[in-house]
Order: sequence, then structure tokens, then C-alpha cells
Amino acid sequence: MEAFEKLSGEIQHLVSEFSSIPVLGDLSLGLTQYSFWLLIATVVFAIVVFTFVKKQTLVPHGIFVNGVEWLVEYVENDVAKGVVGTNWRRHFPFLMTIFLFILINNIIGLIPGMKPGTGAIGCTAVLALCSFMYFVYQGCRAHGVWGYIKSLAPAGVMFPMNLFVWVIEVFSLLLRPITLAIRLFCNMFAGHIVMGSFAIMASLFMEPLIEHLSALNAVQALPTLAWMAILIIIYLVEFIVAFVQAYVFTVLSAVYIQIAEADEH
Amino acid sequence: MGVIGYGLGVIGAALAIGLAAFGATSAMARQPEVQGRAFTVFILASAFAEALGLIGFVVTLIS
Repeated sequence: MEAFEKLSGEIQHLVSEFSSIPVLGDLSLGLTQYSFWLLIATVVFAIVVFTFVKKQTLVPHGIFVNGVEWLVEYVENDVAKGVVGTNWRRHFPFLMTIFLFILINNIIGLIPGMKPGTGAIGCTAVLALCSFMYFVYQGCRAHGVWGYIKSLAPAGVMFPMNLFVWVIEVFSLLLRPITLAIRLFCNMFAGHIVMGSFAIMASLFMEPLIEHLSALNAVQALPTLAWMAILIIIYLVEFIVAFVQAYVFTVLSAVYIQIAEADEH
Repeated sequence: MGVIGYGLGVIGAALAIGLAAFGATSAMARQPEVQGRAFTVFILASAFAEALGLIGFVVTLIS
């Protein structure tokens, strides 16, 4: 079938469209399509937060205020109180900011024609570095710099083994921001590639029918219905993924903060 | 070849998600009152496992 022959070329074209292309300036100094939507998402983020603060009343009403409040309380109860523990109040602003920012970016990417700001590795790397510096700083604050370096190795291990465990712990510490960045980037990138491939499949099967109306072409265009159904299902799954990835990033940051601040390892 | 590599890589992630679902369902069956917490942990665990499969997918496409 000629539809499958065209497929690999179309998918290569799709992947090349998903790499960063400058729309203003060049790659070293300028806006790529991802950073453009990142800026839009930042503006949306500011609008959402400021309207939310402005609209607050004693008894919340309206779907917007209640929705945002539900999100805030979810992060507060589930992530901040549940994972960080007793001094959750200090870390709640950071966690909430990172959660809302990633969530708005992911959701903006789902609107057709828009790109998620988190679909570029640079953006997720910076977010992960923020999280990394934050939890190292909180660890240094809780134990002192030397105390934090020492607390990486568990207490009560014999001397030569101690150094060995410490080296492994430092290695896993440095691996944390990398895994955080790659997880978010791969989820966003791969999700959009999969959605794009099914959209391409649907259009490729439909093409002969549009060019020339005949009974044979109509039968050959029938799989388009199946591709459309799969596309809609994957779109819904991507909606869940947008929430879950924002949640996972926040929960992992919270876990790392809790580990950095814990007294005994 | 890259497509075959992706298929091989996905085996691990698929097994991991299956194991997570197995654990979550048996936990919910034994103790229905922990349903909410077990579901959260299940989603988290499958997000971790899924990321490995997706890394294989993206590396296949990019390189």
C-alpha cells in the first residue's frame, strides 16, 4: 500500500519539525518555537495566579477559583504534608510554583498548533537544576555545608566502607537532576511524536479519497476512522500524562528535599 | 534496526508496569481502604517505568 511507503518520510519530517527551530534570531541568541510557547505559558501562569489571588473570597465560588484551589490543596496535602513532613510550610511555595509551571506548560502544548515549553531538553534541564540547587541548599541549611557533605554517607558504617558508600551516594545525587530532566522531556516529546504519527496515518489513508472519489478509495479510507479513534484516545492519555508528569516532578523534588533535610540517613 | 531496538527496550518497561499493576490490584483487593494511596503509588511507579521505555523511543528517533 502506498500509504505505508510514504509513512517513514512523513515521520522523519515530523521529527525534524519537533527539533528546536529559531523563529527569531538564531539558536545561540533568539527564540525557538519552544521558548516562544514557554514565554506564552509564563504569561498565562502569571495571569492565572494573579486572577486567582484577586478573586479570593471567604466562600470560594466559580469553577476557576475552586479548580485552582483544589490543585493547591492537593499539592499541599499530598505532596507537601505527605512527603516533606513537619516543615512543609517552608517548601510549599517552591513545590507549588514548579507544579503549576510544568502543568501549564504541558497543557499549552496539548492545544493543537502549540508546542509545550517542556518539550525541549533545555527547559527541563533548567527546571531540574533549580530543583537540584534548591534541595542542596536546603540540606546545607539544615546541617551546615560540612555536615551535609558528611550526612550523604549513612552514619554507623565502618571507616573504609564509609568512603565507598559516600562516593556512590554522591554519584546518585548528581544523577538526580539528569533523570528529572530526561523523564519530563521524553514524556512530552514522545507523546507528541506518537500523536503526530497517528494524525499522519489518518491523513495518508484519507488522501486518495480526497483526490479522486470512487468506491475503492472509499473502502481504502476506512482505516482512517480507526486511526482517528486511536488519536482521540492517545490525546486523552496525554492529558493524564500532563498531570502525572507535573505531579511526578513535584513529588520527586519533595522526596529529595526530605532526604536532604532528614537527620538520620 | 532502531525500531527493533525500541521493541526490545520496551519489554523491560512493560514488565515493570505489569508488576506495578499486579501489586496495586492485590493491595487494593486485600485492603480496599488504601485504594487512594495505592493508586497514587501505582501511578508514580508506572511513570518511572514508562520513562525508561520513552527514553528508548526518543533515542531511536533522534539518533
